[in-house]
Amino acid sequence: METTIFPLIFAVPLVAAPVIYLTGRLGWRLNKPILEKMAGWLSVFAFLISGIILILAIQQYNASGPQTVMAEAIALRFDGLSILLAVVALGLGSLVAFYSLAYMKGEAGAEKYYAMLAAMVGVMIGLGCAGDLFNLWVWFEAMAVSSYLLVVFYRAQPASLEAGVKYVIQSAAGSVLVLLAIALVLMQTGTVTLTEIAQEATAVPVLLAAGALFVIGFGVKAALAPLHTWLPDAHMQAPSGISAMLSGVVIEAGLIAMLRALGPLTGINGRGYPAATWGWILIGVGALNMLVGNLMALKQTQVKRLLAYSSVSQMGYILFGTGVALYAGQLAGAQGGMFHLLNHSLMKGLAFLAVGALMFAVSQAHLPGAVDSSHAPMTIAEMGGAAQRFPLVALALSLAVLGLAGLPPLAGFMSKWQVFVAGFDTRSLVITLLVIFAALNSVLSLAYYAPLVNSVYKRKMTPSMQNAATISWTISLPLALLALGVVVLGLWPSLAQWLTSAAGKAILGSFGLGTFGW
Amino acid sequence: MAGILILLTIGLPWIGGVLVWIAGWKRLAFRNTVQLQNSLAVIFSAVAGVASLVLIGFATSETVIRIPMGAYFGDLTFIPNGMGVFLAAVAAVIGSLAVIFSIDYMRGDPEPGRYYFMVLFFIGAMAGLVLSGSLLFMFVFWEITALCSYGLISYYNDDPKAVAGGIKALIITQLGGVGLLAMALFAYAYFGSYEINVFLAKAGSLPVVPLSVLAFGMLAAAAAKSAQVPFHTWLPDAMEAPTPVSALIHAATMVNAGIYVLARFYPAFAPVPYWKLTVITVGVVSVVLAALMAMVATDLKRVLAYSTISQLGYMVYAVGVGGIFASQVHLFSHAVFKALLFLGAGAVIHALETREMGQMGRSRADLPFVRVVFIIGALALAGIPILGGFWSKELVLEAGLSDGPRWAYLLALFAVGLTACYTFRMVWLVFFAKSTVQSDHAPHDAPLAMRTALAPLAFGALTTWLLAGPFSQLLSSTMPAQPIEPETTLEICLSILRAPATWLALLVIAAGLAAWWGRERLTWLTKRLSWLADWAAAGFGFETLNRWIVERVRGAAGDLAILQTGQLNWNLVGTVAGLLAVLAWLAWVIY
Repeated sequence: METTIFPLIFAVPLVAAPVIYLTGRLGWRLNKPILEKMAGWLSVFAFLISGIILILAIQQYNASGPQTVMAEAIALRFDGLSILLAVVALGLGSLVAFYSLAYMKGEAGAEKYYAMLAAMVGVMIGLGCAGDLFNLWVWFEAMAVSSYLLVVFYRAQPASLEAGVKYVIQSAAGSVLVLLAIALVLMQTGTVTLTEIAQEATAVPVLLAAGALFVIGFGVKAALAPLHTWLPDAHMQAPSGISAMLSGVVIEAGLIAMLRALGPLTGINGRGYPAATWGWILIGVGALNMLVGNLMALKQTQVKRLLAYSSVSQMGYILFGTGVALYAGQLAGAQGGMFHLLNHSLMKGLAFLAVGALMFAVSQAHLPGAVDSSHAPMTIAEMGGAAQRFPLVALALSLAVLGLAGLPPLAGFMSKWQVFVAGFDTRSLVITLLVIFAALNSVLSLAYYAPLVNSVYKRKMTPSMQNAATISWTISLPLALLALGVVVLGLWPSLAQWLTSAAGKAILGSFGLGTFGW
Repeated sequence: MAGILILLTIGLPWIGGVLVWIAGWKRLAFRNTVQLQNSLAVIFSAVAGVASLVLIGFATSETVIRIPMGAYFGDLTFIPNGMGVFLAAVAAVIGSLAVIFSIDYMRGDPEPGRYYFMVLFFIGAMAGLVLSGSLLFMFVFWEITALCSYGLISYYNDDPKAVAGGIKALIITQLGGVGLLAMALFAYAYFGSYEINVFLAKAGSLPVVPLSVLAFGMLAAAAAKSAQVPFHTWLPDAMEAPTPVSALIHAATMVNAGIYVLARFYPAFAPVPYWKLTVITVGVVSVVLAALMAMVATDLKRVLAYSTISQLGYMVYAVGVGGIFASQVHLFSHAVFKALLFLGAGAVIHALETREMGQMGRSRADLPFVRVVFIIGALALAGIPILGGFWSKELVLEAGLSDGPRWAYLLALFAVGLTACYTFRMVWLVFFAKSTVQSDHAPHDAPLAMRTALAPLAFGALTTWLLAGPFSQLLSSTMPAQPIEPETTLEICLSILRAPATWLALLVIAAGLAAWWGRERLTWLTKRLSWLADWAAAGFGFETLNRWIVERVRGAAGDLAILQTGQLNWNLVGTVAGLLAVLAWLAWVIY
């Protein structure tokens, strides 16, 4: 195929967003509930179309390698990393949209939810395809805005608004730093196109400062410790599908944006600062993330907060793997980090959706048919005995959580293992010790994951579970699919190899490492 | 052929587990779900048991299955060597007996699907662990057994003690597991392969420091899995599990995994300075401390748990002095008689609905069948001739006397007497003492399924020693790296009977038995030693140590929580601080 089709992957959801909004709004205006329902189905449909285009684009990529589109100064690039982000965003996004059909039924303003969800997914895919810094920043901001609107969806609740304000201000602080960094790069190299920056980059302090600003600026969104403090509140207050998207894709997109921006600073033929500079920072921050996330999660009794801190911890493994790859220039760390990114979105998405299913069932209990928007936080104790009435949800939650702890034969073990192998392969004593540290952190995480499993498998149901409404199949189906994915990838990790190695090679190539050129 | 048998031994329990789980789905609503689940569980575990026994005939030192698993994961390989096939047979056969026993023991339980799934999944994983030829997949199976153990210990999720016991077991064994994880990663990074044979061959070429790290790391992993001091505190708490699980996992199979890796990797690590001495020390300390704790425990299952720690200590001690064959023979006989004792205890607990020995006794525990099999197991544990326990314990002691330090031998010998004493105490309190509690009705003796499981084990406790000769031949022919010589059973028995150490040990056993029998006359001694008894009852301070560690970690978490102020201004301070930290690091590194 001659024509480049990859821009359509993000164009379809972006165009669909206003259509979804208008459809839903018209339905409300004209009092035709069928149109309101259609808003939800339209978003699912848009994601499916986008998915088909993605498959075609992947075939194009396999045939002819990465593709670029230049329009004036705007550069778009489709490589392995773009594919990974697109797969994760579309995959989780479509499952969340499908799940939300029941979850958001009857909520006032649901059309805004679906429209923003479509926009957010489209924008994230666009972020993955960014070929120049300004473009990257615009997609990044658009992602921040759309996710912010989704986090404060329950605008009648003060806690929700508080979480949103914290999120948007911290996010804006990060964005300002990124903008500052872009300005520095532009001043130094005279261009914002990534490939051209690589040509011009040299080892000057200005670019070093720019790199630091990129790390922190994007790092707020990527939940690097100590910049992660917005995460727990945002996850708690958002609708569960959005919590899944936040942990599963948004923070990962933040990391990918960071990697995209840092790559060209390495320059051609080692003229810029070596990739190891950034590698060590990611390794150190990764280790810090693991510890901070685990220790904070230990104290939590509210499940969604616990899962949010768990995301901070799991990002640590992704950062560590990527950092090792940048330090040593080998594929294993990058591939392992990206594999863990993929698995984390599966497992964390599954965990949030499962908890959300229980929360939804509880909220439906009081006024069957009507909608209770209080959505009080679910505690570990309150989930007691869930398996008695909701065996699939309980099993899904258990698989997700045990996978996150890194127990075989689930997906999380395989990706963590790849990261560990990469670490030992470097033969560096410090990194080897940090791998042991990471393994010990995995053991520590069991201390807060295991009680979740024990709670749902109690024989005696709590009153919340007893009175909860039944869960519809549209909620159960995404759970079953994600659970299946977690188990299958744990048994056959090589199934995802084409995706993770393409993404890993793209990262290494963008840093000028190994033989993977731009 | 060996490959097919291996796949059957591992795969049949797994398939059976999934089928039993599916059979329990409410949507399917079979007419007699529980009976279906029981039958499926028994059939699959029994066939796997048969497959594992047939596999013994095909033991070889070569890799028989090789499945590539993708980059960085190496190949999934299996090697049915003597140690592996024997332990796999122990797991599968005792596993099927435990499943049969569970039919009666778990009668009335509302979730047999979850129970059987985890038991069957465990059996397959245990067989996979010992047959594995790849360090990575040995670790994978190791982790799976830990997962099943956790799930089964905390099976009664509503009981906080069970949940706490399960999580404790999981964390302690996983912590130790990091040692094995490091070994697998190291092998791949430095030798280019996860294959155990490659590791054994190349380990000698490593410099002392990395080899020592690996050796002690693996010792930690083995000690945690086999509940040796100082990682032993999880096993007594694991007794919250249903008793068939205690018999299978915490007596006969999973705890043996530690002994297995110690013995398997002995040729590689023996040259490391102080490694053998550390192994001996860990073993002997566990033997003595656990025996003392068993003397003062009042819960029947806890006595058996301490006894297990103690006997595992003998196996560790044997490996430490280089008596690999002795350790494996004792492993085998211990698996049989400890499973027998646990299942027997299960029958008693099921009948009397209590675990406290103080509430048992002559008129309550009038269970003829159970009494007989339990006494057989007790005789084996105490090391009375001619049962299996006698021969294996003597082998261990002999190896210790001839190849190990004198102080270790004396302590081990002393503990033999202690073992006899606490065993006699246990049997006495359960079946012969005067009951303090009266019951209104006669308890039921073991029902059919329980008897079906107990009888073969009792037979085994009496006769497994006859297989010692063929076993030594199997080990020496399929495991050339190990220091084992083939002998016949008669040769082994005669050499044991001729050794003076044997007669010394028998004297000590007699002293131990006499000590309990004449305990009224020894009150002056027991009064003097009451400080020791109290200390033993408090777990020699290890429980306090555990609690302290947990509190330290919780404290750290609490301290860290102060930084999560929830206030936007402080959050932004964190952002700026992060930026300054990164800039400072970069400045320091580059300039």
